[in-house]
Parts: sequence; structure tokens; C-alpha cells
Amino acid sequence: MRLQQGTVWLAAYLAALVVIGFVHSPLVLGLALGSALLAARAARWQLFKRTLFALALFNATVSAGYALVATLQGNFDAGVLLVLNLRVVLMTFLGFWFVQRNNLLQALAFAPGLRFVATLAAGQASTLQRAALDAGMALKSRHLGRPDLATRSRQAAAQAAYLLDRGLQAAAEQALALRSRGVYEE
Amino acid sequence: MHIPDGFLSPATWLSATAMALPAWWWASRGLRQRLDDQTLPRLAAVTALAYSLGLVMLPLPGATSGHLSGAAILALMFGLRLSFLAFSVVLLLQALLFGAGGITAWATNVLAMGLLGAGSALVVYRLLRRLNEDLAVALAAWVSIMVTVTVLALVLGAQPIIAARADGQPLYFPFGWSVVVPAMLVPHALIGLAEAALTLALWRFARARRWPGLAPAAS
Repeated sequence: MRLQQGTVWLAAYLAALVVIGFVHSPLVLGLALGSALLAARAARWQLFKRTLFALALFNATVSAGYALVATLQGNFDAGVLLVLNLRVVLMTFLGFWFVQRNNLLQALAFAPGLRFVATLAAGQASTLQRAALDAGMALKSRHLGRPDLATRSRQAAAQAAYLLDRGLQAAAEQALALRSRGVYEE
Repeated sequence: MHIPDGFLSPATWLSATAMALPAWWWASRGLRQRLDDQTLPRLAAVTALAYSLGLVMLPLPGATSGHLSGAAILALMFGLRLSFLAFSVVLLLQALLFGAGGITAWATNVLAMGLLGAGSALVVYRLLRRLNEDLAVALAAWVSIMVTVTVLALVLGAQPIIAARADGQPLYFPFGWSVVVPAMLVPHALIGLAEAALTLALWRFARARRWPGLAPAAS
């Protein structure tokens, strides 16, 4: 039942992306974004903030670039920017909403091999992320101010070697765990 | 480098998805036999590294973003088929968890980075490895970045031609080739040097730790 629900969400999300791709009216896109925000209920502002955080820098760069080039060429149209930004925000918001409502790895059920690699990679990525965060906090705790470039370079090199060794160790552990569970005999 | 959602016309991303489907089928054939207990965890570890590398991005005016890729090291260590699948996973997770790249642009990004970028790395490595292995690895990584961004720049720059309003205004990505090609290629020529250094460091690290499967990639 849970998988079916996830599959329905995935199909609805993909269909929405296709439809949104063909919409060029800022009003319709704005209404769709408003409706998605309303439908996301309690999570709406957290998801919207996350969307803006993910896109702000890049969309601002593209928008400013277009504004500059189009103004110099004498054909600036704010509607182009409005449609582009509304579409990008809406599509990204829907993606985050989909992930928040569903188990991403379940969505890969159609490709077991892909899901297997994704599960392992996601697990490894979070391990590496935690280790990198720990190393950064350790560096910060050892210095009153911002460490100089040489110190940061030494730290980066040591951290990189540690992360790779940690990755290797985790990989070996996973291999043993997978073998003990008979994954390779399936 | 990643193309986000909403920057490509449906004609572009639906065509790219249609092209990627047979590539995914080809890459996943006999997957279980190729993922033995030595390969799978190491593939996951390097995939996680590529995933992390791609999340440190710089915005590029007139283009999308610049970042390291990790596609070359995946291809050199695991061959084209496994690296293509692994990079597909990387881009899917980045798109859905961080909004880095988009689902509609997924196939385009995967074909550019995971197939053409990784494939060009393998070609360069195979051509140069007898001359000097370190040089072959570093150049393979640099070329993979440049091939990838060239393809992505050509796709992005084609958008104003593919989809425009009656008055000529763009419906999707607004810059043509004259803006986007130099905006992507010039910074990535430098980013490619960092990718080359990192790939070489990883290659040497793996060699020093005697990782299996570092023989020249077979597929």
C-alpha cells in the first residue's frame, strides 16, 4: 500500500513537471505555486525556504545576466524573468515536497540495482558529511580566530586522507555485512 | 554545471530522456554479476565522494554553475557502464535532496557528465597511459570536464532557438551560444585543473592502498 502511494506520488510529480514545462503564463504558474504552497500545509514554509536557498544564487545570477544583456540590446522583458523564475521555483518546490512526502529510495524500486547503489552511496555520503563536520568543528575549537592559509591547507589534506580512509573502511565493513546477509548469493 | 529544472524546453529534456533510456538499459545489463563484494562497496564510496564534490558549486554569470564532478575517477576505476549508473544516482540524489540540477534536466546532465564526460576520460586515459600514467589520469579528468561543459553549453545555448515567443523572447534559458559557451568553458578550464589534481590524488591514493580493479577499465 505504501509503495503504491509512493508510486502514485511519483507519477503525479512527473506528470506535473511535464505540464509545467508547457505553461508560459505567469498567472497560471503563480496560481500553481500558491496552490502547491497551500497543499503542503505545515511543511510549506520550510520547503519554500529550502527551495529559495537552493535556487537563489543561481537564479539571481541568470536573471541579472539576462537583465543586463537584454537591456543593452534594448529588448528587456520582465515577463521572461517572471516566467523563468516562477517555473524553476515551482518545479524545485514540487521536488522537495515529493521527497518530504515519500521515501526516495522506494521511488527507485523499479530498478533494484540502482536502488542498491543509491542506498549505499547515500549512507556513505552521510557518514562522510558527519566526519567532515566533526573535522571542521575540531579545527575551529583549536583556534581563537580564523586559522591561516597554511594551517587550513594542512587540515584539508589531513581531512581528505581521513575521509578516504574512512570511506575505504566503511566500504570494507559494508562488504562483510552484505556478504553475511547473503546479498551476493541472491 | 548542473542544469536545473525549468531551464530546458520539454522538447529538449524529453528527447534527452528518450536517448538516456537505452543507455541506462545498456549500463544495467548484467549489473548483479558485475557488482561483486569487492566492487560494490568501493563503487558506493567513490559515488558518495562524487556526490559530495558536486554539491560545492559556484554560480557562473551567463551560465548555471561551476563545480568538480568526479565522473572521471568513477570511469577510470569502474569502467563506463558502472560509472554511468553511479553518476545517474549521484545526479538524482543531488537534484531531489538539494535542488542541485533538476529532474527534468536529469537525463541531459547524466548523458553529458556520466556518459560523454566519463567516456572521454576513458578514451584519453587509454590513449596516453603508456606514455605517462599520471599525465593520462590528469588529462583524462580535465578533458572529461571540458567535454561535459561543452555539451551542456551547447544544449543550454540552443534553448532560445528551440523555444521562443513570437516576439523572439526566450521561453526557457535566455542566453544563446555566444554568451553561454565562453561563460561555461573559460571558468571550467580552471575548474578542470582542480578536477585533474583531485583525480590524480585519488588515483594515487587508491593505488597506494592497493584497491582492486584499478587495472585499466574494461568496459
